[in-house]
Amino acid sequence: LISPRMASGMQEKQYTPSLLSFFIYNPKFGPREGEEEKKILFYHPIEIEKNEKIRNVGLCEAIVQFTRTFSPTNPAKSLHTQKNRQFFHEAEENYWMVMVVRNPMVEKPNKDGKPPTVEYQEEEIIDSVYGSVLQQCYCMYKLFNGTFSRAFEAGGVELLTQKLEKFFYRYLQTLHLQSCDLLDVFGGISFFPLDKMTYLKIQSFVNRVEESLSLVKYTAFLYNDQLIWSGLEQDDMRILYKYLTTSLFPRHSEPELAGRDSPLRPEVAGNLLHYGRFLTGPANLKDPDAKFRFPRIFVNTEDSYEELHLIVYKAMTAAVCFMVNAAVDLNREFCEQLDSLVGPQLTLLASDICEQFNINRRISGPEKEPQFKFIYFNHMNLAEKSTIHMRKTASVSLTSVHPDLMKILGDINCDFARVNEDEEIIVKAMTDYWVVGKKSDQRELYVILNQKNANLIEVNEEVKRLDMMGMDYFTTLKLSIVQVLLTASV
Amino acid sequence: MESHRDPLCDINRTSRRLVIFHLLWPRRTSVDALGLAYMNEEIMSESWRQHRKHVFVLSEAGKPIYSRYGNEEALSSTMGVMMALVSFVQAGGNMIQSIFSDEHTVVFLQKGPLVFVSVSATRQSEQQLRRELLHVYHQIVSMLTQASINRIFERRKNFDLRRLLFGSEKVLDGLLDVMDSDPSFMLSAVQCLPLPSSSRDALSHILQKAITPDLVFSFLIANNRLVSVVQEKTVLEDARLKPSDLHLLFNLIRASAFQAGEIWMPICLPLFNHDCYFYAYVAYLDPPECTVCLVLLSTDKEAFYAVAECKRKIEEAFASQNALQWVANTQLYYVDDISVANLRHFLYKPSKVLDHHRHPEMEVGYRSQEERIRLLDPYRNMHNRIHSTSRPLKLIYHSAGKETLLAWVTSKFEMFACFTPLVTKKSAISELTKLLRWIKKEEDRLFICHLPKYSTAPQPGRSSTDRGSSARPNTSDTGLLSLL
Repeated sequence: LISPRMASGMQEKQYTPSLLSFFIYNPKFGPREGEEEKKILFYHPIEIEKNEKIRNVGLCEAIVQFTRTFSPTNPAKSLHTQKNRQFFHEAEENYWMVMVVRNPMVEKPNKDGKPPTVEYQEEEIIDSVYGSVLQQCYCMYKLFNGTFSRAFEAGGVELLTQKLEKFFYRYLQTLHLQSCDLLDVFGGISFFPLDKMTYLKIQSFVNRVEESLSLVKYTAFLYNDQLIWSGLEQDDMRILYKYLTTSLFPRHSEPELAGRDSPLRPEVAGNLLHYGRFLTGPANLKDPDAKFRFPRIFVNTEDSYEELHLIVYKAMTAAVCFMVNAAVDLNREFCEQLDSLVGPQLTLLASDICEQFNINRRISGPEKEPQFKFIYFNHMNLAEKSTIHMRKTASVSLTSVHPDLMKILGDINCDFARVNEDEEIIVKAMTDYWVVGKKSDQRELYVILNQKNANLIEVNEEVKRLDMMGMDYFTTLKLSIVQVLLTASV
Repeated sequence: MESHRDPLCDINRTSRRLVIFHLLWPRRTSVDALGLAYMNEEIMSESWRQHRKHVFVLSEAGKPIYSRYGNEEALSSTMGVMMALVSFVQAGGNMIQSIFSDEHTVVFLQKGPLVFVSVSATRQSEQQLRRELLHVYHQIVSMLTQASINRIFERRKNFDLRRLLFGSEKVLDGLLDVMDSDPSFMLSAVQCLPLPSSSRDALSHILQKAITPDLVFSFLIANNRLVSVVQEKTVLEDARLKPSDLHLLFNLIRASAFQAGEIWMPICLPLFNHDCYFYAYVAYLDPPECTVCLVLLSTDKEAFYAVAECKRKIEEAFASQNALQWVANTQLYYVDDISVANLRHFLYKPSKVLDHHRHPEMEVGYRSQEERIRLLDPYRNMHNRIHSTSRPLKLIYHSAGKETLLAWVTSKFEMFACFTPLVTKKSAISELTKLLRWIKKEEDRLFICHLPKYSTAPQPGRSSTDRGSSARPNTSDTGLLSLL
């Protein structure tokens, strides 16, 4: 007699980490007994019973307080329990954000109708990765809503809770905790490598537009989902970049590539002069009755605290962000002016870049691009490159290496973070893969080598080779970065 | 014959036994200025906060039992908070494990009615810190036995265990200090004294001859390194004595800080059998230097005189062969004869059945105790990475500003080495190879390769199961001393 369970195959079920709860509180809002509920500004999932919410928040407060006993200025960042992990982040003074992640687990079936045994795999979650994800949640909120304290000043707890609810309800759904890794720790920007000539063309384009449209305060230029130039501060650009590449751009995939009769084509069909169109704001300039508005973003929150309209305008694979003071009313006239000014120039520029890029590729040959699996990050300019990740969007990050190897990279990155020195760590994994981590001058490089029979010396030679080969690639990268830095400071 | 039932039948008997304890383990006297300073250290002061590792022991009821720094009574509200955190998470059907901040790691461990908390700035891993807490628990068990701890708290949840541990804070202090400075704990191994195998065999032979019924182990220790160990074969069957138990035994002896004369003390070896006592006879064979220590373990509480007689026989045999000289003369090895100019320090542990490790005194570089202790931090970090349960590694090579470190695990051995910072990979590997060859050559001298056995005549009416030494399954890869 075969039991139904046996017939279905006694398989182990693997559960990946998932979001259990997420909440934001400020202890100052409910300091007295009986007022605890007032501390809670946002709580997901909303169905949780009120007293349980209060207890969970109370636990976090207790833990933070407890760790202050030993270090008043460096309280708890995470709590590890058997079943889950909690991350704490004091985003602004007294405003705490907490993310609770369920530990990955394996469910092993038992015979005879016994409930399955659950084995929790705590080591699979790296604190630095999910801690960074939590911090990024705050940065993304702040980009579109400004700081917590300003909202509170403007409209008290009511306004703040409203804003939090509106933003996080949607944003939390985009978190894909099962695919977070080292790149989340970096939160870097992928730069597009350019030759000097083309770079200068883009520079002068930006200058011309900024001169003609005096309302434009800041500009950012991207090509192919990679950054070329930005007038924003680094930290602001970094979070804007994440928004653009993981949210806005994927929503508006190229209609130029769509067929003639595709519904995606309307805005292009009428205008044979250029391929430019608005990604934010007016979807169709031809329709005079259509209402539109631009998203608002907040930058320089530490000092000048500016609220801006975010205009994103795209032609083929080139995208430009124009940021205008939010106090200004941007009407249809302005948009048409921008469209007729920028559209043709941007279209030309986009095909120029494409052509130049292809020429460069042909000259240097495909070997120029290192064949190694590596991840590079520069702390100074946030430049990031990975040949391991095949597609990074909000939903999926496919890697071409085993997740355990990515976690080893995460471990090495944690070890690097301990001291402020140049270091090199080479490890040989149980699968005989070699992983090399190098940290020098604020830059980190991780290389994965699948050379099972190599020894330490051979591995060392390979990585030296990468360094040499990559030299030209990185030089080009460095060049555009230097120019970004120079022009940003002007 | 009373044999090996737990003598703690009621609290009165306990206090009688503890009088002996009290005499044997002098409590913190005014001579021990540092200990007193810590005991009276003002809690929450800057200096208290800055200690590298705090360890707290409390009962499930939140009652303080021990604090490494500061008076545990003054810490009772902090300990109350700790217990509250543990209970709160438990109430949710979950178990608290640790808290991480930029500077500290807080690790929790609950064993029966006792709760252990470590607050550490050493950046050791959670698993390593928890293992240390487990050692602290086992040290307490070594003094009281697990069965009595559980029974006491079953009857009285509010019991103040300090009554039973009165005077033993020094033992725990000593354990924590030695764990912070001795790599033996990280490696789960015991360090042995290098001796030509002929000498070691001769010493073992002497020990094997001086036996008495119910004597189960005889150890010879010199300068905290194991010289020789012999084991009774019938009674113990396949039971194993783990390095962790040996460390606890050594620590108890160290903490007793006696010089002349002899000690007869009950000791429980928790990993061997956590519910019953052995009785240890301890004496130094070379007063007043007191570097060579003899430890004889018996299962019979009343056997003091018989065991003391064994010691006398051993002393006689040592004198006639001038055996003490072999132990005193043995050089802590210098690795001069092979050219390993860039190698500064190493730890080596063979994975064979007997686990001993060694670390040599090196000519250059890391002679000072501080340097050796400082090296423990990166060694422990590498140990943690290389033995990770979810993503273990075979090799780690770490070049940093101060030094270059290497960790290597194979099926035959495990080793950690430290080189000068500018060493090339080629030199490092070549020196390592030379070193490994040298170790292989000297193997007999460096490690205890086998365990001599003896048998005592079995007593009527006694079965081996009475000893409480049920054959324990060969657990994990933590080091073992086993019967061959």
